[in-house]
Amino acid sequence: MMADALDMVRICDLSEIGEEILKVSLEGHKPLGVTCLDGIYYVFPDTCPHANESLSKGWIEDGRVVCPVHFAEFELGNGAVHNGPSGCARLTFYECEARIDGLYARLTS
Amino acid sequence: MCEHDQCTSHAGQKPDMRPVYPKAGSYPHFAKLVDTQKAQVDRKVFHDQEIYEAELRQIFGRAWLFLAHESQIPEPGDFLRTYMGEDNVIVVRQRDRSVNAFLNSCPHRGNRVCMVDAGKKARGFICNYHGWSFGIDGGLRGTDGKVYDSDATFDKGSIGLTPVAQIASYKGLIFATFDPDAPSLEEFLGDFTWYLDVMLDNDEGGTEFIGGAIKSVIDCNWKFPAENFVGDILHAFWTHQSGAQAILGGGVDLGARYDELAFQASVYGHGIETNLDKVGNTRTLGYPELVDYVFSRQKAMADRLGEVRARMVGAVSSATVFPNFSFLPGQATFRVWHPRGPDKIELVVWTLVNKNMPEHIKELYRKGVMMTFSPAGVFEMDDGENWEYSTRVNQGFVTRQQPLHYALGVGTRDDSRDLPGIIHKGSLNDANQRLFYTRWAEFMRFDNWHDLQNGETAPPQRMAQRQAAE
Repeated sequence: MMADALDMVRICDLSEIGEEILKVSLEGHKPLGVTCLDGIYYVFPDTCPHANESLSKGWIEDGRVVCPVHFAEFELGNGAVHNGPSGCARLTFYECEARIDGLYARLTS
Repeated sequence: MCEHDQCTSHAGQKPDMRPVYPKAGSYPHFAKLVDTQKAQVDRKVFHDQEIYEAELRQIFGRAWLFLAHESQIPEPGDFLRTYMGEDNVIVVRQRDRSVNAFLNSCPHRGNRVCMVDAGKKARGFICNYHGWSFGIDGGLRGTDGKVYDSDATFDKGSIGLTPVAQIASYKGLIFATFDPDAPSLEEFLGDFTWYLDVMLDNDEGGTEFIGGAIKSVIDCNWKFPAENFVGDILHAFWTHQSGAQAILGGGVDLGARYDELAFQASVYGHGIETNLDKVGNTRTLGYPELVDYVFSRQKAMADRLGEVRARMVGAVSSATVFPNFSFLPGQATFRVWHPRGPDKIELVVWTLVNKNMPEHIKELYRKGVMMTFSPAGVFEMDDGENWEYSTRVNQGFVTRQQPLHYALGVGTRDDSRDLPGIIHKGSLNDANQRLFYTRWAEFMRFDNWHDLQNGETAPPQRMAQRQAAE
């Protein structure tokens, strides 16, 4: 348990997170997208799995992340893709945890 | 390669992707094909390909053209596809609830970016060809995302769908123009707004289009239907007599007070003919309940619009907003005759009602329009065949040398009535059609809006001002 918790990286203050998609850039990591819906926090790569577009320029709609360019939709939590361009992969969601001093996530893979 | 002054097109320079709005020219030899002295129109204007190309440049490239009713696209992202001349455009409600319109053509290879007729809550428009994606504001959001991102010279911010030059609404009707120098929509419509208000403002709740659009193709020149609606009630007594008898059990009737009341009004080529008979057009929809409804509103409408215009709401009447937007008061059908070459049109028809009308009344109007002025409608079929042959006969080389007669009602100008625009006595008159073609000739002749707005078709007070200035 202790080792797992230590592997988590602090992402940002909880107060920074709203229902929009927040872009977070951390040293040594690719940019992240962060959002909160119905009290649940979500952390995922900011780059759309289809190409190179920034998902933080998109929006959340009906429980899905919507890419601003080709409008692929990714289910919050499991990353399943809807209406994506041909060959568009799922979106990865990182395990994350709200703590008193901020949002933490395990940035695997 | 392009028309911008600063563009020298050196290798390695970013391409100039600013919109290009064509400049008008002057075609006096085409303008002369309308002979106002002899009240004749040369048949060349109905078949000649060069004249048609000049129309696209001089008229459809400059005039304010009808796009849509506000009610068709109420929410951000709601859109429809229509035409301005032969140019396909997307009309889309913006996030700030304004409306904009764009050429439906990708600035990359020109493919259409929107294939469907209309839709709700669009996020944007993606080109099928290379995946270029445009927001509802027309801006390029991204491409396929892989190649252009690594190209330092690619300037995404400077690329977008071409917007119309100006867009504006008049009481629910959205119009646009490709000419940045065009005067405001209200200046373009002039005093004709007084007549538009008969349909657009006879109730405080405003209007809406209901029931979608009916589209059809007619093999005729676009000016035949436009001139028909601008001032030809004459044809009703022959063309529509059998249909009227079937629906009404009697012929077309202009009312007992025709000599006293009927008139034609024209402003900048826009025109209306009316008989002030209260319900003559509404009667032809075939529902007595609609006639009762229009009668029941006479006082309320008179309080709002005055006695004359209250009588116009359901009357035997027809109107065209130059160049190709027409409607029938009373029958509530509104339509655009989109040109498709000199010998074909695409006709799109809607039904306009007051938002405050009871639902069953709206439904009767919708059905009534469908049964009279749709491709299978009693009256539309009557008209279409006439316009097709009026167009097709001009394939005959000798036939097309022959003059056409537009001289009914020469000398019937009536300056005694307190009505806006150029007034002629009696609705059975070619006056509005002569002025429609005079306006057409003005668009052919003049390359600037000052001349366009101060010519022979200008409303009388405007002409008086001009003469005083000279």
